[in-house]
Amino acid sequence: MNDYEAVIGLETHIQLNTTTKIFCACKADSWFDPPNTNICPVCTGMPGVLPVLNKAAVEKGVVLASAMHAEIRPLSYFDRKNYFYPDLPKGYQISQYDQSLAFGGYLDLPVPPANGQPAYIRKVSIHKLHLEEDAGKTKNAGNERLIDFNRCGVPLVEMVTGPDLRSADEAAQYLMRLRQLLRWLGVSEADMEKGHLRCDANVSIRPRGAAYLNPKTEIKNVNSIEAVRSAIEKEIERQIREVEAGHRIEAWTLEWDEDAGVLRKMRSKETEADYRYFREPDLLPIRLDDAWKADILKALPELPLVRRQRFMDAYGLPEYDADILTSERNLSNYFESAVKAYGSDPKRVSNYLMNDVLRMLNESSKTADQLRLTPLFLAEIIKLADTGAVNTSTAKSLLQKVEESGKAPAEIVAAEGLAKVSDDSAIRAVCLEVLAESPKEVESYKAGKVTLMGWFVGQVMKKMRGKADPTLARTILEELLA
Amino acid sequence: MELCDIPAYELSLLLRQKQISAEEITRACLERIDAVDGRSGALDSGSLTPEDEQKVHAFITITRESALNQARAVDQKLAAGDDPGLLAGIPFTTKDIFCVRGTPSTAASRILANYTAPYTATPVTRMEAAGAVMLGKVNLDEFTYGSSNESSAFQPAPRNPWNPAHVPGGSSGGSASSVAAGEAALSLGTDTAGSIRQPAAFCGVVGVKPTYGRVSRYGLIAFGSSLDCPGPVARNVVDAALMLQVIAGADPRDSTAANVPVPDYLAQLDGGVKGLRIGLSPDYFRIAFPDPQTGEYREQPLPVDIETPVLRAAEVLASLGAEIVEDVPMPNTRYGIPAYFVISRVEAASNLHRYDGVKYGYRTPQRTGDLTKLYRQTRNEGFGLQPKLRILMGMYVSAAQYSAQYYQRALRVRTLIRRDFEQAFDRSGKYRLDALLTPTTPTTAFKMGAVYGDSVLMQYADQLTVPANHAGIPGLSLPGGLDAERLPVGIQLLGPDFSEDMLLRIGRAYELATQTEDWRKVKPLVLR
Repeated sequence: MNDYEAVIGLETHIQLNTTTKIFCACKADSWFDPPNTNICPVCTGMPGVLPVLNKAAVEKGVVLASAMHAEIRPLSYFDRKNYFYPDLPKGYQISQYDQSLAFGGYLDLPVPPANGQPAYIRKVSIHKLHLEEDAGKTKNAGNERLIDFNRCGVPLVEMVTGPDLRSADEAAQYLMRLRQLLRWLGVSEADMEKGHLRCDANVSIRPRGAAYLNPKTEIKNVNSIEAVRSAIEKEIERQIREVEAGHRIEAWTLEWDEDAGVLRKMRSKETEADYRYFREPDLLPIRLDDAWKADILKALPELPLVRRQRFMDAYGLPEYDADILTSERNLSNYFESAVKAYGSDPKRVSNYLMNDVLRMLNESSKTADQLRLTPLFLAEIIKLADTGAVNTSTAKSLLQKVEESGKAPAEIVAAEGLAKVSDDSAIRAVCLEVLAESPKEVESYKAGKVTLMGWFVGQVMKKMRGKADPTLARTILEELLA
Repeated sequence: MELCDIPAYELSLLLRQKQISAEEITRACLERIDAVDGRSGALDSGSLTPEDEQKVHAFITITRESALNQARAVDQKLAAGDDPGLLAGIPFTTKDIFCVRGTPSTAASRILANYTAPYTATPVTRMEAAGAVMLGKVNLDEFTYGSSNESSAFQPAPRNPWNPAHVPGGSSGGSASSVAAGEAALSLGTDTAGSIRQPAAFCGVVGVKPTYGRVSRYGLIAFGSSLDCPGPVARNVVDAALMLQVIAGADPRDSTAANVPVPDYLAQLDGGVKGLRIGLSPDYFRIAFPDPQTGEYREQPLPVDIETPVLRAAEVLASLGAEIVEDVPMPNTRYGIPAYFVISRVEAASNLHRYDGVKYGYRTPQRTGDLTKLYRQTRNEGFGLQPKLRILMGMYVSAAQYSAQYYQRALRVRTLIRRDFEQAFDRSGKYRLDALLTPTTPTTAFKMGAVYGDSVLMQYADQLTVPANHAGIPGLSLPGGLDAERLPVGIQLLGPDFSEDMLLRIGRAYELATQTEDWRKVKPLVLR
């Protein structure tokens, strides 16, 4: 294994989450709809129809291209990619060829430490980035082949990386970061299981350190990040076995069988298909003037990896915290708002988020911006705990109570009498009560079993329903038992 | 004069004065169709009878009932005092290359013979919204691929009303013949290389190829998408202007339809030609074509019968105050056909991909059990010779290894042809033309069967019309006289982008000035 390194490039198709399709007014998202219900003469390729470009698809494409640091062309063109397939009703796909929306670009992929190797950054270059329309779906049903045209004309960005990835794990990391980015930017739902994000992997191996590229195989039909990882791992192993056995790697197209966990050969790759690309005469070029571009990009948020670094630099968060808090844009915004409202110690805010708020999010499947426990309320609760106004366990239960009621923490504390009792005499009275009720324990304590102090404190807390200041209770008990 | 022979503009006046009803007009046209059209084009229609050879055969589908209903609706609006629209009660035919909801929309091809469109093309929608009455769908060359209509899968093919032994031209042959025979006042055609202007010239009617993008292509079954222009066929310039007024303009369903305001064509129609600069180019008075025997490129002057009416028109316009500018060089005209051959075939082959027997249209009755065989068998049986030739040629010249030397080169030629026109029309250039005056066609209507079979030579019938399609500029063909066989000769006016108003104005001036000439009194043979 150590004698070889894998060379992997990923070809991704990203469904943009526009309301309507790229060239007609049909609804784009058909996940919950029966086959052939979101269709019209245009997207089913009736004779005589013409495409009309949905600007929202261009805008989302520009946002993505910009986030990938790609060069955006002020003038780009659509082209026809001609081929026959039943799910392609026009017999050509409207795509972009030589003058696509953007070119170049990269992603600085942080690769976490693993197997004793430290973390590192892998620069993944982007070879191609263009807009196109999705095709329909076919499926076999007995002797018949059924076609669903709902997906025809859903806007896609095709984005192809250079052969820059070096392991199945890196490929999986890339897809995770891409998915994070797509959702962060709001350009795609990026759900691989639903086909919003699709990935084909090109895999070859070569002696470690070599600079040339060997023949590659293409793995298709992988629809989860785990499947991509497993399929690539299997393929690397297979290629090493073949080479070790003195065989040549042939340029096959392989299909991943998810259930069996194996790769199957779909076809040998003959000479490259000739798609006879030519300019789509039915569409005008995309003229992206400075004003339009500026208008699109003014809403471009800080990118997740940039924000992750900033959370480490500016707030002194550990990488682990920064990574989780920037896993999703709403969560990271939430964190920053809470830190701002809290005013100090971002790590303390992070702890509350990582331990409690994340659990609430997972359980409710809400996003951070949908919480009734707003960043302001969270900051307020942490402050209550800091000043000793409530104790820690009350603070934690307050989180849930605020979320359930939407009321301000202080309001709940007042209404439910949750404030920590720091009144010496009130606690002293309860302490006396506890000691009077527990003669055996008092005896044991005095005989030297000082560990019973914790039990006494617990009894006091119990009687006061958790509102007592435990430190004060301990001091009083120690005094009374002395 | 029967109602069906009265031009649209006058019908419109009579209708509004309540001297006639829309239903009467429609019935007159339907009677004319019954009298002269013969049997409509159909698949597998058997051999021609002697009677067939005397008829026009413009139609594939006659929409008698819906036409009468439309006409009655116009009459009701008129009776109620509502505005019935600019073309109220005017009967028209639609080239069967346009989709019209609920009608067979066949493209004159077996592969679409059973296809009923679920939607209506924008120009037809606009005609109907303006109150025009659609009488039916008329025949054409299969998928518009031809200049004679003989290639239609729906036979008998249309014949020239001036002499049914001759072709009506094409591909809008059904449009031109239906208007010439008085079956309809107007027809909606398409022009990709001359397909409106050439049949208009052959049938002695007026045809307008508008600027590319002036009229929406939505619903037009595509041939060469970068060249196709829907446009009017009419019996005179006023009617053509009236129809263009209705169908022109931007369309949210066609992004190549221009967002340029549509002028009032009628208001400017009688503006005259005083002071206008009208050019003549020697490059439009000769044709270059490959010798059918040797394949060698030959050049020859146009027949005198073709040349004379153009020169006479120049004299007429000069006498009306226009300035005639001679010897305008249009050196790239001769490359128009070869470049067109390449560009149109590449687009056509791609546009024909969708006819695969899967979704609609013809599917081979044979059980193929294999997708590729289904495609091959369906397309082999469903397409006629012309689509097949164009697919072969288009696939060849767009293949990766040939594209540079054919397709990319043809695109450069196209730019050069456009440049010829830009220089001629340049306001501060040497020629500063308002329009170029040329013959429409190198010959008058040829005999049925005379050219058919030689696809290359057939294509050269478009030699003088195709440059306008390459350049995207408008062209107008109008009757300029008759040849020795008493067949119509067309003259053509070409102008800069969106100069339809100017071309119509010049055409109208010529039409008025020659109104009383003897040749205008001669009727088509089928009406004599």
